[in-house]
Amino acid sequence: MEFFVLNLLNGVAFGFILFLLACGLSLALGVMGILNLAHGALYMVGAYLGWTIAINQGLNFWLAVLVGAVAGGLLGLIMEWGFFRYLHGQLNEQVLLTFGFIYILTNLTQWIWGPIPKAPFTAPFLAGSFPLGSYTYPFSRIATIFIGMILAVALWWLLERTRAGAIIRAGMDDRKMSTGLGINVGLVSTAVFALGAFIAGAAGVLGARMFGVNLELGLNVLLYALIVVVIGGMGSIPGAILGSMVIGIVDSFIKGLNPDLGYFSMYLIMIIILLVKPTGLLGKRRI
Amino acid sequence: MTLANLKNIRQSPREQWLRWAPYIAAGVVFVLVPLLVPTYINSLLTKILIFAIFAISLDIIMGYTGLPSLGHAAFFGVAGYTVSILLVLHGIENFWLIALLGILMAALAAAILGIIALRVSGIYFLLVTFALGMLLYSMALKWFWLTRGVQGLPMVSYPDLGLSWLTWNNTSFYYFVFVFFIVCFFLMYRLVNSPFGRALQGIRENEPRMHALGYNTWLYKYIAFIIAGLFAGVAGVLFPYYARIMTPYSVGVTISTLAMLICIIGGLGTLWGPLIGAVVIIVVEYLSSVYVPERWPLILGGLFAITVMFLRGGIAPYLLRLWKRVSYGSAKG
Repeated sequence: MEFFVLNLLNGVAFGFILFLLACGLSLALGVMGILNLAHGALYMVGAYLGWTIAINQGLNFWLAVLVGAVAGGLLGLIMEWGFFRYLHGQLNEQVLLTFGFIYILTNLTQWIWGPIPKAPFTAPFLAGSFPLGSYTYPFSRIATIFIGMILAVALWWLLERTRAGAIIRAGMDDRKMSTGLGINVGLVSTAVFALGAFIAGAAGVLGARMFGVNLELGLNVLLYALIVVVIGGMGSIPGAILGSMVIGIVDSFIKGLNPDLGYFSMYLIMIIILLVKPTGLLGKRRI
Repeated sequence: MTLANLKNIRQSPREQWLRWAPYIAAGVVFVLVPLLVPTYINSLLTKILIFAIFAISLDIIMGYTGLPSLGHAAFFGVAGYTVSILLVLHGIENFWLIALLGILMAALAAAILGIIALRVSGIYFLLVTFALGMLLYSMALKWFWLTRGVQGLPMVSYPDLGLSWLTWNNTSFYYFVFVFFIVCFFLMYRLVNSPFGRALQGIRENEPRMHALGYNTWLYKYIAFIIAGLFAGVAGVLFPYYARIMTPYSVGVTISTLAMLICIIGGLGTLWGPLIGAVVIIVVEYLSSVYVPERWPLILGGLFAITVMFLRGGIAPYLLRLWKRVSYGSAKG
């Protein structure tokens, strides 16, 4: 029972970090058809900046989250304004360009912060843990679950219950028609992209305790986020949540049972889901 | 404008000579120059040819069939690891045997992964091939008993062909790779110009129409995927002999994207485009490794961005247009 609760909590906390990463990727894909492989690199930049603020400078943790988020959002804006708006529907080009951004951001990060990984960190008041049966459980994961839930609900509310959300969904369903109705789809796309990048930057600081702060983050977390999008179905917030939870919880249980297999579990989940339902769990579009 | 159309234009002898000029130039560079230059340049040319075979094999599925694969290094790596494991861990030295096994293993890997990846298309195909490539990368990293993990498998020997008169050095190894390149290039040339290759291009342009015409498009794509994996395997078999070591890095996404860059910088959907791309990329990589080794990823990333923003069609179409103007200028009128 303890084993079950422990792994479930771990899985849910892990899943919410994945959700924060994947929602931006999924929205950019769904709304703009843009595959931003540098999404993980934004997360990494957020994590390093957060480390500088919270640990190196010893300032407030929430300030670190905010700085990470703003940096991610700004980088996202630059990418959208400078590059992606010229690359609509050109998949190969988007892949190459965003991979180029991964190399550039990773190398610049290495240049600024050096090649040695930083120690995982979290807010001082979240650093403790509480007893859970015969184990102790860190507060920071519980906090991650709460923050993730709040953001997920906020995003869902934004997309499903507000006028802005209706405009975003309209742009996703029929770009030409929305433009014809006087909606500035370009502006909406930029806003959605920057929002996704903003959340990714914040996730970098919030997830620093779980993933650490290192130069491999850009690719490692990208892989998780991509698999979440593939199995959840793209452009759908509920799909991103479901995909994150499936990956987070199954990954956590398999790692708990057999650490050697744990490394491959997410691929296995993806392969099985693709063989059964190629559109992803909640994907609507025929592909 | 395709090459087939160009062939129909009647030409004067001068123009015919010009038509062959690029082939002659390429022949001089790749056949005669290696005899005259220092051996480190031969080693560079060897790397160019190996990556050209690899990039052209990617071009078969990405350029001709329209399936952007981001995990192509998987097949390169499977072949490379098969050769290294058999040679280093099991002491089987016969090159022909282990090369054949390496290429077959690459084709087998493509046959298995292809079933999964071809369940989807478009963006999803890209994401799934990326994930499958990462799966093989993590196997190479984690299965220490098989691959020696991040240490890699050191290869100290040149290929054992069973020919006693052959003395190995950088130059003879270059010609050895060159023979493989010519054979692969010829086979892939025949492939893309065969009815099968035309059907692949039809699938790239309009898959529903090809389907309506009665083609089993899934099977065509599947076979193209396996053939691409097979030729990537040829490059993969040669690579560890060149690099002298096989590490998980060679299976990783860096090599996959490098091949993609080579294809796009050279020009997708042509066979000699990736060759030009390989020359450009490998030379730039060599220069940066000499002068600014720490900043190579930065330069590579910049190259990606410049290619995408300014060289979108690739170098090959520009050269083709230039060449056309020179050699067919009068005939076009």
